[in-house]
Amino acid sequence: MPKRGCLGFSFPVVVGVLLVFLVLFLVSLISGALGNSLFGDLGLPSWLSVPQPALKLPAEVVFHLLGFPITNSIITAWLSIIVLVGICYAVTHRLKLIPTRLQSMLEAALGWLLNFCQEVAGEKNGRRFFPVVATIFLFVITNAWLSLLPGFGSIFVTNTEGEAVHLLKGANTDINLPLALALISFIFVEYWGIRSLGGLRYLRKFVNVSQFFRSVGQLFRGRLRAGISGLFMGIIDIFVGFLEALSELVRIISFTFRLFGNMTAGEMLLLLAIFLIPWVLALPFYGLELLVGLVQALIFGGLTLVFATIAASAHEAEAA
Amino acid sequence: MDPEVVKLMAAGLCMGLGAIGPGIGIGILGLGAMNALGRNPEARGPIMTNMILAIAFAEAIAIYALVVAVVLIFVA
Repeated sequence: MPKRGCLGFSFPVVVGVLLVFLVLFLVSLISGALGNSLFGDLGLPSWLSVPQPALKLPAEVVFHLLGFPITNSIITAWLSIIVLVGICYAVTHRLKLIPTRLQSMLEAALGWLLNFCQEVAGEKNGRRFFPVVATIFLFVITNAWLSLLPGFGSIFVTNTEGEAVHLLKGANTDINLPLALALISFIFVEYWGIRSLGGLRYLRKFVNVSQFFRSVGQLFRGRLRAGISGLFMGIIDIFVGFLEALSELVRIISFTFRLFGNMTAGEMLLLLAIFLIPWVLALPFYGLELLVGLVQALIFGGLTLVFATIAASAHEAEAA
Repeated sequence: MDPEVVKLMAAGLCMGLGAIGPGIGIGILGLGAMNALGRNPEARGPIMTNMILAIAFAEAIAIYALVVAVVLIFVA
């Protein structure tokens, strides 16, 4: 049987796959929510029905550890940490000059990330910003992609209060994790700005009173016209500095809601698709979720990098 | 009117109206990127990177509207 054509598979295999797909489509159409509204209650066995999507926005507590409530999203975050640390340990505890497959995969990923950092931030700054940016990227993408595996949202346990809660929930969908990452990003951007420019010069970007005082001095020395115009420019400078300080703080909120909103919307979309036509409709949305996870991780890390580059560069070059 | 009805209507209006601006904004970004790519196909790397970055900014506004709509339906 020739193996060319039909994506490398022989023709009967392709026909078989398409037949299985068609049967799954028909079964899920009839048993899902669409079928329920079209054909009414047909009395199908209960394992064929999907419960209505119920989104629990604050993540549910599964157990308590040393007085802290451990939610299902914290368990998932621990899982991502274990996966990332496990992969890195498996590669680095026996580094070879001619790399094995896992080692070359990890080297390719980290090399691409370092290249990205150095493209955006320059050689020296790129190497300096690389650890935090790469950690944020890898953590967000592992959280996002891990939450697509089976088991997330289907395993039930009973928690200490006796309710049935999910055991695993995507870590990025709990608003605390994006908030924590946004705070870390903010702290590091300010830290790098202060380290690069010196504390006073960096803070002078936000409290820009030099023009104002200079024009007051000009007024005292009798140069009225230059003084008054300089005064207005000084007031505008102070206002602009204040707005920049405000926008640094608003960035925390914007980072948080961008990641949280994208991930929660994706989860809702998947739950809805599974509810309507169980096995089949979720497939294109899984592809979308893979893409969205990658893009959001790239955005979070990339925006941290861009803001750090802006903070670490001299502000006078911008004003010119 | 029933508070339930008003909440659902508000959620629908919020997401619908909130998606107009970002939609147009992302379209304009795409237009700029296509023009730049047409003029200089060799600069594909920086153009695409900056376009994706700018699209993320515009999309965040739509996400804010989505979060408000979700809060209206599930929490309020």
